[in-house]
Amino acid sequence: MGNDEQRDLFPGALEMMILRTLKRQPLHGYALAQHIKRTSNDLLQIEEGSLYPALQRLLKEELVKAEWATSSTNRRVRIYKVTAAGTKHLEREVSRFERMLEGITRVLARGES
Amino acid sequence: MSWLKQLFSRRRLYGDLSEEIQGHLDERVEELVGNGMARKEAESAARRQFGNVTLTKEEGRDVWRWSFLENLLSDIRYGLRVLFANPSFSIVAILTIALGIGANTAIFSVVYAALIRPLPYSQPERLITLTELRPQQAGAADVSKQTWDSSYPDYLDWTRQCKSFQALAGFSGDGFVLFGAGEPEPVAGVQTTINFFSTLGVKPFLGRDFVVGEDIAQGPKVAILSYGSWIRRFGEDPHILGRTIQLDDKSVTIIGVLPRAFEFAPRGNAEIWVPLHIQNDLVTRRSLRWMPVIARLADGTAQRQAQAELNSITANLAAAYPQENGAIQVAMVPLRERIVGQVQPVLLVLFGAVGFVLLIACANVMNLFLVRTAGRRREFHIRSALGAGRGRLISQLLAESLMLASAGGVVGLILAEWGTSLLIAAIPDTLLAFTPFLRDAHTNLPVLAFLGIAVIFTGIAFGLAPALQISRGQESETLKEQTRASAGGVRTRLRGVLVVAEIAFSMVLLVGSALMVKSLAAVLNRDPGFDARNLLTFSVNLPPAAYPKDPDAIRFDKEFTERLSALPGVAGVASNSVVPLTGNGASIRFIIEGQPVVKGHENECNIRDISNNYFSVMKIPLRSGRVFDDSADSTTAPQHVIVNEAWAKQYLNGQDPIGKRVKFTYSPKENFREIVGVVSNTADAGLDSPEEPSLFLPFIQDTNSFINYVVRTGNNPASAMGEVRASLHAIDPQLVLIQPFTMDQVIAQSPSVFLRRYPSYLIGSFAALALILAMIGLYGLVSYSVSQRTRELGIRIALGAQRKDIMRLVLGEGARLTTLGVVFGLLAALGLTQLMRSLLFGVNALDPVSFISVAVVLALVAVVACYIPARRAMHTDPAAALRYE
Repeated sequence: MGNDEQRDLFPGALEMMILRTLKRQPLHGYALAQHIKRTSNDLLQIEEGSLYPALQRLLKEELVKAEWATSSTNRRVRIYKVTAAGTKHLEREVSRFERMLEGITRVLARGES
Repeated sequence: MSWLKQLFSRRRLYGDLSEEIQGHLDERVEELVGNGMARKEAESAARRQFGNVTLTKEEGRDVWRWSFLENLLSDIRYGLRVLFANPSFSIVAILTIALGIGANTAIFSVVYAALIRPLPYSQPERLITLTELRPQQAGAADVSKQTWDSSYPDYLDWTRQCKSFQALAGFSGDGFVLFGAGEPEPVAGVQTTINFFSTLGVKPFLGRDFVVGEDIAQGPKVAILSYGSWIRRFGEDPHILGRTIQLDDKSVTIIGVLPRAFEFAPRGNAEIWVPLHIQNDLVTRRSLRWMPVIARLADGTAQRQAQAELNSITANLAAAYPQENGAIQVAMVPLRERIVGQVQPVLLVLFGAVGFVLLIACANVMNLFLVRTAGRRREFHIRSALGAGRGRLISQLLAESLMLASAGGVVGLILAEWGTSLLIAAIPDTLLAFTPFLRDAHTNLPVLAFLGIAVIFTGIAFGLAPALQISRGQESETLKEQTRASAGGVRTRLRGVLVVAEIAFSMVLLVGSALMVKSLAAVLNRDPGFDARNLLTFSVNLPPAAYPKDPDAIRFDKEFTERLSALPGVAGVASNSVVPLTGNGASIRFIIEGQPVVKGHENECNIRDISNNYFSVMKIPLRSGRVFDDSADSTTAPQHVIVNEAWAKQYLNGQDPIGKRVKFTYSPKENFREIVGVVSNTADAGLDSPEEPSLFLPFIQDTNSFINYVVRTGNNPASAMGEVRASLHAIDPQLVLIQPFTMDQVIAQSPSVFLRRYPSYLIGSFAALALILAMIGLYGLVSYSVSQRTRELGIRIALGAQRKDIMRLVLGEGARLTTLGVVFGLLAALGLTQLMRSLLFGVNALDPVSFISVAVVLALVAVVACYIPARRAMHTDPAAALRYE
């Protein structure tokens, strides 16, 4: 049922990026999409749409919360904020990711030499 | 947020999501327009970047769902809509399944009651039966399940010596005339050793079991009632204990009532249980084998160990009593096997047959389903385009098929209830009495579990193939237009396979039913060796108080016979110690003068006490010598015997028996008796039994207090019964007619006939059902392929094909499927009919006539089924056909 674009990422990667981005500042969906795209220098091919199921998952887990507000461009938008649980989750996930990355990097480095 | 809150706030959550996504798209469009893009272009670009909006929303919502359950519910909702939208399809499918499942459930409830359900005793698997085998029986197949008797002294020795058994008990069937509970009436009873019920592990529901001292002649006369007779004959009297009734001429106190669930199939019709009060002869004569014995294996003892111990005891007894036990062996058969042995093969064959019906029903519904799914391809494409995954499509179709199967199951349950009672009602009372467990065949938990499994199996069986096909069909989507005009393709091929399978299955059932019907006909057409038409039979029991000595019985017999013979509708009255074709009867050991035999290894054959006119009344031809005669065979005359041809053939190698002399070996006081006549053979034990060697003695010289009469009447034997009863009453109002039947009834109720008639009807009905279903399948497939080929047929006709060529084309397709089905069916039948060999009589399991005639009938019916669509094809209007495009 998933879409294939998301398979380029490992499970949980999208959620981690969302949490990290929202940690810096609360954003609404569109701005979130723009931000992730920009900061990744368009390296990550993410369908914008796939953000929304991920946001719903985070909402359900109560890692983020959402509120309707009016944006600077005078739109009614839904602003997402990281909760305390979300912060904790993010820290855990990031450290896990870093350990994984380190492992992968070592294996790749050994393979080169 | 708790799950409950989530559940109720869901509508809002979904609304938020939609609004948010719409806002996202709007914002993107604004931005693009702001960058100078045309609005229309910007809108599609925004969507492109976003991805599949519907799918995203769907996935977003899925997060909040218990997706499995909710998908299922929505599948069911949708499925119900689809099924109601096409009621004729649904009704046909449901009825087909209901027939299949209903028939299976009905047969299963009988199979469960008879073969699976535990017997109502404690640890019934530890109960076995013991029987003594005569030398001529040793080694014969299955005889250990037919014979069931031992001598009382041997039983006592086993009880004393054998450590492998926790307990041994014996019993003997009996019958009484019951006084003191309404009209005097004959009731069936059993005499048992006092430990009989405790050996079975059964405690009376009211009162107590027999106790020591109640089994001796001088002891108190007591009886235990079956639950059924307590209800029926004693009106559920709560003060029944201590009440006195009269059995024959004895006053007996009721001390107990058996539990409702109690049954003892070997004496299933018994209403009254009394302790064994046996006469001197039976207690002391080791060669008199009359008592069936049951035993409970001791804890931790295997049947094999018990058999080994019993064998060594048997060897010791043989050494100690060479005359009586020299050649006797003891066989052990589990009680369950003895009880269900006779019905087991019938039920298993029926269960197999009805399983085929279910398979055919599934194939048929699967066929319908395939056609309908093909018609719904557009719907599935749309759903798949809208983002429905393959799993969702499959689960949708499975939900529909399971719903149909469940509906079929519910209707089937009603059919099964009705069918089971019909099945049981079809069993004659006399046979039902000895298969009491069948009365328990009704819907219970195991039967419902079976039904549930059948429903799921059926639903998956006919839903899965279409489901897989539709989801596989997605890839070849673009080819849709091209494939439409040709009749080929996977879908039609699968349907062809189904129809071939249906035909093959019905072929097997048809062959099976043909063999059964042929066996039944062979049994019914067998000449029993006597004229069974217009014959009445019943028994009279003379109580010892009023008829203490042989002359009393002889006097009664003479008077009764004279009275009956004087009745206007009666052509002759005779008696025999055994009613022919009932399978009862005694046997005796003998030696022939001049043929020395090792002690204890004498031959044993049937023995019958008959009235002097027995052969003439029964119309059994005399082959040589003479029949018994009032003057030459009076009570004081020298003892003579008559033999049958089978006897002469087996023991005298075809020499003339007249003048030869035989002697019975049960007592040293016996003298040689001269053979004075030879009569032709009769089917004594049953219409499917071999003609057994028999010896006949005159009733007058070997009198019995239990007499079986045969009365030759006019055209309607049953109508003479009233006058016969009146005559008996006139002689002695204490006496009653026991088991009054016409010989036709005796034959119809006999296992040899009934155990073939029953499956003949059932397998016949199953086969007919199967044939109808298979032909509907064939008709449906050929019709469908004609309608799919309208354009092709139109072109052929336009190009000059003759109508008869078109007919041949369509019929050829049907013929191909039928031929394949018949060939596979024949091959399968060759193997499968072997399984019903034990039910067959007078016909080989590979009977070529049955096989060929069934194939021909099936082929003819198939031609008819194909002819209708073929005619339609023949009349295809080429112009109309081509206009389709």
